Amino acid sequence: MKCKRCRRSEAAVDLPSHNSAFCPECFFVFFRRQVEEGIRKFRMLSPSDRVLVCVSGGKDSLVLWDILSELGFRTEGLHIDLGIDGYSARSREKSLAYAVSRGKELIVVDLRAEGVPIPAAAKRSSKEECAVCGTVKRYFFNRIAAERGFTAVATGHNLDDEAARLLGNLLHWDSDHLSRQHPLLPESADGLVRKVKPLWRVSEMETAAYGFLKGIDYVTEECPMSEDATSLVYKKALSHIEDEMPGTRRRFYQGFLHQNRDVPKNSVALDQGEETPPVKCISCGAPTYTEICSFCRLKEKVTKTRGRS
Amino acid sequence: MIRVRMPQKKQELEVPGPRRVSDILADAGVRPTTVIVTHGKKLLTRDQRVEDGETIEIISVVSGG
Repeated sequence: MKCKRCRRSEAAVDLPSHNSAFCPECFFVFFRRQVEEGIRKFRMLSPSDRVLVCVSGGKDSLVLWDILSELGFRTEGLHIDLGIDGYSARSREKSLAYAVSRGKELIVVDLRAEGVPIPAAAKRSSKEECAVCGTVKRYFFNRIAAERGFTAVATGHNLDDEAARLLGNLLHWDSDHLSRQHPLLPESADGLVRKVKPLWRVSEMETAAYGFLKGIDYVTEECPMSEDATSLVYKKALSHIEDEMPGTRRRFYQGFLHQNRDVPKNSVALDQGEETPPVKCISCGAPTYTEICSFCRLKEKVTKTRGRS
Repeated sequence: MIRVRMPQKKQELEVPGPRRVSDILADAGVRPTTVIVTHGKKLLTRDQRVEDGETIEIISVVSGG
């Protein structure tokens, strides 16, 4: 199969969803344009931004860091060591190795040192493990960004992630989450830093292909705590449809964004009226709608349990 | 035989060559949109033919959480 762009070289990546196939050089052009268009469409970032890139050590976040740097944005990485035996050490190592190889700054937060390693936190919570992990990570993304003067927090969520999340929200008719599902959540007056997902137009396969062809060494193993994640069920269903009808996933998510053109407000709570201003957590100062924020409540539970054992 | 490695599943299988990537994926029960297929430092498209004696890797791209 020849590259459909230059028509000379052998294709390395075939993309039935775009009815196309590219050689490595032309694929880099395609990928870069997709990300640029994703940023431009919602005016996610500007050259004056200081961007905190959340880096797990996996393909999406390292590719995100790579392409944002290539596009000329001022970036630093933030890695959260989740405290999961073995897996976290390997993820941290990949993140550090990438940062060193590119001469980039990487901030590391160690959840064991913070008193909330994810395995212990998940045991103390009634929520799904990935939901607990998400709460803790979002807390530190915002806290580190606010403390250190970053103007935007970027995460590596891709088209597959967002389409799976959309399917889940629709299946449960979760109107609160649907109203806030967007690649851009602007900064809020109550202390939330702007959140952006610049990879929302590229698929998981495209991100992996880009990472491989760019020689980015990422963690390929899955988080051992995400084996039962519901997002995997939605992804499986969508990949079945995608194989039969290429391009459906892209049309599904982009159609949703087209129908809901207004960028939602950024908020720490989903179910609060807009008239209700948040307060500062009495323990850590983070914006919250309760006296103590959800992170500090979780941390307290973990600490108390440790005290008893 | 073609050696097919699937590192995340810690599995390896052998299929008779030559064989197209799309057929190998079908043999392995893998959906094409959920993986990349590599041969050394090269990425393979689904229509490419793998020769007897070659080793390829099927790398899952699906992440949960």
